[in-house]
Amino acid sequence: MKVDFWGQEFEANMFVGCIGGFLIAIMSSMFGFGGGPFMVPLMTLGLRLPMYIVVGSSLLAIFFNTAMGTFRHYQFGNFDLVLFLVMFPAAILGGYIGPKIAKKLSPVVVKRVACAGLVILGTKLLGLF
Amino acid sequence: MNIKFRVLPIIALAMALLFAPQARAEQPAAAGGADASAPTINLDKSSLDNGGDFVISGKAPAGSKVYIELWSAEKTVKANRFDGKKDPKTGIIPYKFYITKDMPAFYKIVAPVEMAGILDKAKAAGKSWKYSEVLKETGADAAYTVPAKIQIDNYQATIMASILGSRGTLLPPMDEKASKRESMKLVKVRFRSVGNLLSAKVETAPDGSYTAKVSIRSGLAPGKYNARVTAVTERIKEGDKETVKKVTSEVASFENKIAFPTVYLSTAGTSINIIWPFLLASAVTIFGVLMGAGGGFILNPLLLMFFPLPHTVVAGTVMPTVLFAQGTGIANYSKIKFINWKLGIGIGCAMLVGGFIGPKLTEMITLDQFKFLFGWVLLILAALMLWQTTPGYLANNKKEQAILKEFKKRAAEAAKAKG
Repeated sequence: MKVDFWGQEFEANMFVGCIGGFLIAIMSSMFGFGGGPFMVPLMTLGLRLPMYIVVGSSLLAIFFNTAMGTFRHYQFGNFDLVLFLVMFPAAILGGYIGPKIAKKLSPVVVKRVACAGLVILGTKLLGLF
Repeated sequence: MNIKFRVLPIIALAMALLFAPQARAEQPAAAGGADASAPTINLDKSSLDNGGDFVISGKAPAGSKVYIELWSAEKTVKANRFDGKKDPKTGIIPYKFYITKDMPAFYKIVAPVEMAGILDKAKAAGKSWKYSEVLKETGADAAYTVPAKIQIDNYQATIMASILGSRGTLLPPMDEKASKRESMKLVKVRFRSVGNLLSAKVETAPDGSYTAKVSIRSGLAPGKYNARVTAVTERIKEGDKETVKKVTSEVASFENKIAFPTVYLSTAGTSINIIWPFLLASAVTIFGVLMGAGGGFILNPLLLMFFPLPHTVVAGTVMPTVLFAQGTGIANYSKIKFINWKLGIGIGCAMLVGGFIGPKLTEMITLDQFKFLFGWVLLILAALMLWQTTPGYLANNKKEQAILKEFKKRAAEAAKAKG
């Protein structure tokens, strides 16, 4: 499929995109997160699209998944209103404070910290220590 | 002719089934002699403040074993179990899905002190302990009544139905015995640990008077709790069948009170101090913004680790929280025409289908399976993050960021010219 972006044309393999998106959607809706950190590598590496197309468009693709996942979780009775009302303002607050700190920090350092954190969390969930 | 011969064994089996339960039926209160009068029950407190200790005392027939059944009378929660384990005898995988909405939010049986050894053994067995076996060994099965009566729906699931995201076909209700057996499995799925479900605290004097110091932990459902004493006077074993002679007391109740900022989460069945999840969610979203990702994948495991929440509730509640942030993100990007709609909607349609299936899987797996799979997902994610900090990636990223900036500038100018 041809993708047009600000006058530039790119070729995107929608077959890979759809299969990958489908699998990522199953996984992320199962565990209840957005899926952005998986979608961005899929679209840059798998579809060979430049970053500037991917940031916005991946968000749009993920939105479909999150909307459907939210609806299905609600249908299965997994949605807790009180917990949601606690976390929703927290998310807005975080979204407000976050960008202010972001300017002062190097994203590479943040990513390395996140990486270490994820390894600790992951091994903890696997029960390795 | 042929058909008749096939039917005969089935009729015989049906007859056997009809008579078998009667042989094993438990003898209710009236069966005993003079000393089998109903036990008395007294609580030293009528209300607790988000858990606490209290003493249950009373008098039971001399020489009997005393069990106390405790349950939350007002609050119920959901419990479900997917049976995908191969039956060792027949080799058939049942693919059955059991679900109830009537599980009490709290359930515990307090057994005589001398049963402590059996409970310790079960605790040592780790996650693989069997609730029904421990109930039988401690004799607490005589007091197991409340969950045995809950309504359990059972579904015949198929792989196809699961892919389509349905629970399968609703089967006719199970008979009393099967329902009781399944209820024990659901109780274990819901409350998980030996310590949550059983304790050995009842001390009995030779004359039959008993006392039990019971502690209710904090973070449980508020409202009315019930307690009922079952005194087992005699167990007669004759081959396979066992007759249990028991007497039960009246129901005594107490109130568990919670106050703000501790709030009861009705879907999760626990009360938590909401300040902590609020702080946690704020910290994680700030970190998520810095990282350039949502942060749900960090928030979910942390919520599971720190709070006694079911994984279905965590997944089902964090997802809508993310939805809003994504919506504003899309609005911002579309304002500067930074979204390729064809590409986004194309992949989005595939993700729509995936999002339909995923939540079904959350419901089908246990908390341990959820943790195991999530652990691997996080390790893969860590590898992806590490790759994004390698020099090659960074150099490439720098170039693209420059182009991105250029595009954003042009977009802003275009928007200005229009306005």
